Parts: sequence; C-alpha cells; structure tokens
Amino acid sequence: MADKSFVGGIREPRQGLVRVIRRGRSGWGGGRVALERSEVSPKLAPHFGFRLSEAERRGGGHFRGTRGRGGGKMAAPLELRCWGGGWGLPSVHSESLVVLAYAKFSGAPLKVSVIDNTWRGSRGDVPILTSEDNIVSQPAKILNFLRKQKYNADYQLSAKQGADTLAYIALLEEKLLPAVLHTFWIENDNYFTVTKPWFASRIPFPLSLILPGRMSKRALNRILLTKGEPPHYHLKEVEAQIYRDAKECLNLLSNRLGTSQFFFGNTPTTLDAYVFGFVAPLYKVHFPKVQLQEHVKQLSNLCRFCDDILSCYFRISLADG
Amino acid sequence: MDPGRVSHPMSSPSPCSKAETDEEIAFRRATEPWPEDATLYQQLKGEQILLSDNASSLAVQAFLQMCELPIKVVCRANAEYMSPSGKVPFIHVGNQVVSELGPIVQFVKAKGHSLSDGLDEVQKAEMKAYMELVNNMLLTAELYLQWCDEATVGEITHSRYGFPYPWPLNHILAYQKQWEVKRKMKAIGWGNKTLDQVLEDVDQCCQALSQRLGTQPYFFNKQPTELDALVFGHLFTILTTQLTSDELSDKEPGEKRKTTYFVLGSEWLHL
Repeated sequence: MADKSFVGGIREPRQGLVRVIRRGRSGWGGGRVALERSEVSPKLAPHFGFRLSEAERRGGGHFRGTRGRGGGKMAAPLELRCWGGGWGLPSVHSESLVVLAYAKFSGAPLKVSVIDNTWRGSRGDVPILTSEDNIVSQPAKILNFLRKQKYNADYQLSAKQGADTLAYIALLEEKLLPAVLHTFWIENDNYFTVTKPWFASRIPFPLSLILPGRMSKRALNRILLTKGEPPHYHLKEVEAQIYRDAKECLNLLSNRLGTSQFFFGNTPTTLDAYVFGFVAPLYKVHFPKVQLQEHVKQLSNLCRFCDDILSCYFRISLADG
Repeated sequence: MDPGRVSHPMSSPSPCSKAETDEEIAFRRATEPWPEDATLYQQLKGEQILLSDNASSLAVQAFLQMCELPIKVVCRANAEYMSPSGKVPFIHVGNQVVSELGPIVQFVKAKGHSLSDGLDEVQKAEMKAYMELVNNMLLTAELYLQWCDEATVGEITHSRYGFPYPWPLNHILAYQKQWEVKRKMKAIGWGNKTLDQVLEDVDQCCQALSQRLGTQPYFFNKQPTELDALVFGHLFTILTTQLTSDELSDKEPGEKRKTTYFVLGSEWLHL
C-alpha cells in the first residue's frame, strides 16, 4: 500500500503526495503527525485523519471522480463535529443531540464527525458545523444556518405555531436545562461515576484531566449566575428550586404533547428536536442518582416520544451500537 | 437538602389539577385579606431607575391593578439592597416581603386572587412558556443594552446607577454591577453577541408575541393575565424610554396590534 511508506518519512513535497512532518514526541496515541493540508492527495486524506472539503478534493486534480462523484454542481458538504453516543443515543450531549435530530427531521445531509481521543479537530464549544468557509457554533445558530440552506423542518407550521416554538424553547432553556446540567455535571455521584469517565475517555490525555473539570465549572457557573442570588451564590439553595422547576416543565411538556405523535401534528419540527435533545439524555443515560429520570419515566408520552424518534430517525446508528 | 424529597404540588406527574372551588377561594381571601397598606418598593423614578428594573416594576404594578389589589409605590435609593433576592421590585405585604413577578404571582394566588384560573392546562403551559420567552429575550436584551453597550453605559447607565452615592462609591458600584452583568451574559452565551444580533433577537421575540396576540384584546380569552402584565411592562418601558440609540424602540412601531394593546394596558395604570 502506498501510504505505508510515507508514514514516518520525510519526502520532498510533490504535488499529490503527502508531506509528513513529525512534531514533538510521539509517545502516546499512535504517533502524532502534523500534515500540510494542501499537499495531501485526496485518496490518502482519510487515512491521515481528516476529510477534505469538496473544493479541495476537486483541486487535487489527479483523483477527480475517484469517489464516484462526477463534476456537476453539488451542495456544500456539511460537517458536524459533536460528542458521541452511548446508551442507545446518537449523542450524549444535549446540544449535539438537538442538532442531530433537526438534521434528520429536515433531511440535511450531515457528515457527523464524532470527537474521539485523537488530537484532530477542536472540542471546545461543540457542536460545530463546518461548511466550506462557514463555521457555525451554537445550536440556535446552526439551526438558522441549516434553514437558510433550505433544510427547513418547520415549513408546515403556521405563524402562531412558530411563535409557540420560540416560547417553548425559551421555557426549556430556562427551566429544564439547569436541571440537565446539574444531573450531568454537578451532582457528585453522577459526575464522578458516569459523566467524567465517559468524556475523559473521549479526550486525549492530558486534556482529559482538564477539560471535564472545565465543562463542569462552566455548568456550575451558568446555574449559579442565572438562578442563584447575589452576592453569595450558594448551590444548595438553588438545587431544590431547579429540580422543582424541571419537574414542572416536564409536566407542562407532557400536557402539551398529549397523545399526538409530535408536538405539532404528525411531522417533527424544531421544537421536537429541542425537546428530544434535552429529555432523551435524562431518560436513557444510566445515572446513580435518578430522581429526575424516574419522573420522566412516569410521563409515558414523553418516553414514547423519545423512543419513537430513536427508532424512526436514528435506526441505522441504533443497529450499530 | 435532598432535592428529591421536596414535595410540591407541581411535582406529581398527574397532568390535571382540580380547579379551586369558589368556597376555597373565598376562604383564603377571608383568612388573609390583602392589607390596605401594601407597598411596592423600587428605585428612584426620575433619576436612578434603569430600563430593565422599570420594566419589571411596571409589570408588577400592572398585574396588581389587574387583580384590583391596592398597592402604594414607594421609591427608595437602596431598594435593590432591601430586596430579599437582590432584584427589584419587591412588595411588602403584612409581614412578608416578596420580590420579582413570578413569586409575587404565586403569593397573590395563595391569598386567593388569580388571573389565570380560567385557563386550561395547555393554555397555562403556553402562558408560562411565553413568560419565559419574554424574560429570556426581552429582559436579557434590555440588560445587554444597558450594561454591555458602551455608548449607553457611558452616557446613561453609569450616571443613573450611581446617582445616590458620593464619589468614589458611585463609580465603584456601577463598575461592579457591570462586571456582574457581563459575567452573567457570558455564562448564558450572550457574551459574544453584537448589538445587531441582540436587536434581531428582540425583533424575533416581538414577532412571536405579535403572532400570538393576533387581533384579540389580550393574550388569553377576554381577560388579562400575568403574561399581559409582563408584556405590557416591557413594551411600555421600551417605547417610552429615551436611550442613546433608538434602535430598540424602532423595532416596535411596525406592530399595530401591539400598539393598540399597549394603549389598553395604559388604561389599567391610569396613565
């Protein structure tokens, strides 16, 4: 195989070949190599751990059409970088799950690149959508971007339903999100037995020692600054309040959903993506401290809602693992 | 304190709660009547109060007027520090002190007065959702404009916030508050937003409210609810406050329905 001879070697850069530069020590992670993107041949790119955008692929010249795509106009490929899945979910991270669900509902062809413990790509401020020159980072902005690219899951909604969507999303972010963050990142039993090991296994050492702690601190900050009372921000006072709010919010969602399949009729929309993104991790991930999970399980229509979406839209990844 | 053990009426998963009977409501009103000397505290109206605080205060006043409960408004320079949660306005009723619209609504309900009893469960959920939308978007945008937009901060906010205090305390307190607000903005993800993006969000929020209001006089049925009070408080303040940039109030005039609504609301406060 041609690429074997390149690894570890240094060659004169020639068009279409790979120039490999070894930087730093390569003690862990199977060797760390830094590559000049412009010199990587399209055929070999995946072996070296990144994908070329469509423009780069075409610019490579020699290997045009290798992948069976001839010329002709094509939509800019959309690549999403997000945290991986577990416990039957495509992603364990709420915001990533929202974007994944919306992409499935609207039919956007996303290439999902899951964060793993190699050093490629960034892992801050995830989920991130890259498309040619655009880099978009928060779920609301990513969804807006997808809508502008004509991947719209809400085209059947009336204006009033669109307004309701906005209101319910605000409700979710105010009432449910603090409790989700608390369950994942702040509750000590959950954090040390489930969350931290899971995330640390997907972050390369030594970042795995730092990053989970930083994410936990950010979650704590967010809860205290929005729910706590100045000047002494104490967690104990707000814990009871946020769980109460979360249970109330779940009840309200359950009332709103009733017996219909999705929140607005028979096709899923943005609101369904958000509710799924926030509720499914609570429902599926196995935590030691489970009081909110038990509450979710008692609301059978929300459980049915999550299971339906998982089996209809994420069937392929479920079959894999 | 184990959060799971707190029992609260809303923590049970059954979706329907029985509507209160008239006897129960009358009983509550009789045992703890609303006193005549209830007072609402806010900052000094002319020189100190800021946009967001004014909006919140007006919302509470409108709500109490809608419930036909008498309230006296008292302006104190240290209202923010007197408040149990650090936020204005707060009301002093009998020997209890309650701050912010949410807890005040619940407190008033415990006394037997409520505006949203006639709503069914789905409508109540919608009402709560829209109140969160207003808090999330409008209130945060007001805070952003006051404290994170350099032009407004320099010209208006700093001098107003530090008005009652001597130098150098006025500067120190203003900078401290600005730092606190900026920290909060960063935590919720608004730290990197530009003014244009914030105004776009406000626009979206107003569109949503306008769609929901439609051609009705109030948001739900023919009776005003706490949502109407909240929206009125914010709209009125935004439309009538003079800031360095008029962009915020420019977002509003196109919405004819909301202007009519806001006229109706002014009647409530006899403005």
